[in-house]
Amino acid sequence: MSATPEMLAGYRETKLIDPFEQFVGPLYEKGEGIARRYALIVDERHVNMRGVIHGGMLMTLADMTLGQAAWDACDRAAVVTLNMQTQFLKGVRQGDVLEVTPELTRRTRSLLFLRGDYRIGIETVFTASSIWKIIGEN
Amino acid sequence: MVNRPPGIPENAEIASTGGFNKYVGPLYRLADLEDGAVKRFAFAAAEQHMNGSGTVHGGMLMTFLDTSMSRTSRLISGAKSTSTVSLTCDFVSPAKLGDVIESRVRVTRQTRTIVFLSAELVCGSRTLMVASGVWKTSGAE
Repeated sequence: MSATPEMLAGYRETKLIDPFEQFVGPLYEKGEGIARRYALIVDERHVNMRGVIHGGMLMTLADMTLGQAAWDACDRAAVVTLNMQTQFLKGVRQGDVLEVTPELTRRTRSLLFLRGDYRIGIETVFTASSIWKIIGEN
Repeated sequence: MVNRPPGIPENAEIASTGGFNKYVGPLYRLADLEDGAVKRFAFAAAEQHMNGSGTVHGGMLMTFLDTSMSRTSRLISGAKSTSTVSLTCDFVSPAKLGDVIESRVRVTRQTRTIVFLSAELVCGSRTLMVASGVWKTSGAE
């Protein structure tokens, strides 16, 4: 854990457990529980040779943030991704700050439907809809 | 000949030459199947690709899929660059540390500026993921 960058005043660093998330992080958050808002600063590791973020990094960010919300939505029971649908609306560049507040669309006994609009300022640049399976008790 | 991880052919070309691909890689290109109709890529799951429950992270699987499909869209269109417009992934079964994960990509349709692709990720005879997506080409030759 390191100090929160000045451009993310009000955010704190998210505690990441998965090695792959630690590898591509840090991720930042503010608020509590399922209402948490997340932010990622796009850095030189996340972009391709054209200086534009890799689609895989955006989908990883979706899996990380919607996964955090899925975990919150079922009292931290184990969940797995079943399906992820993504739309890439606008190129994202190094130095951009991506923000999202995940939304729980619906929860059933064994499934969670979650989506997110990923924004730079007020502009939506990427959207993701996902389905998660609740596989265990917390 | 460069050393390759177990399960990756010695003659496999490195497909991750820069940027995020190189950071998460190495990713490899394998020989085509069906007279070039199926483009193939592979990587060996390492510690940094995992999630906390001991399976390969979905973000890494989707990254590998996006790289495989984006590269295919460039190979078949001859475009200087292509961009992912949409991608839908079904997580069919998990992968574990050390697995050699292979992608198989097919072209569904190609227009002047759009490429429709489908793909699967496999480990041996097991399907890990199925996906379809749309790519936009730019700077076509």
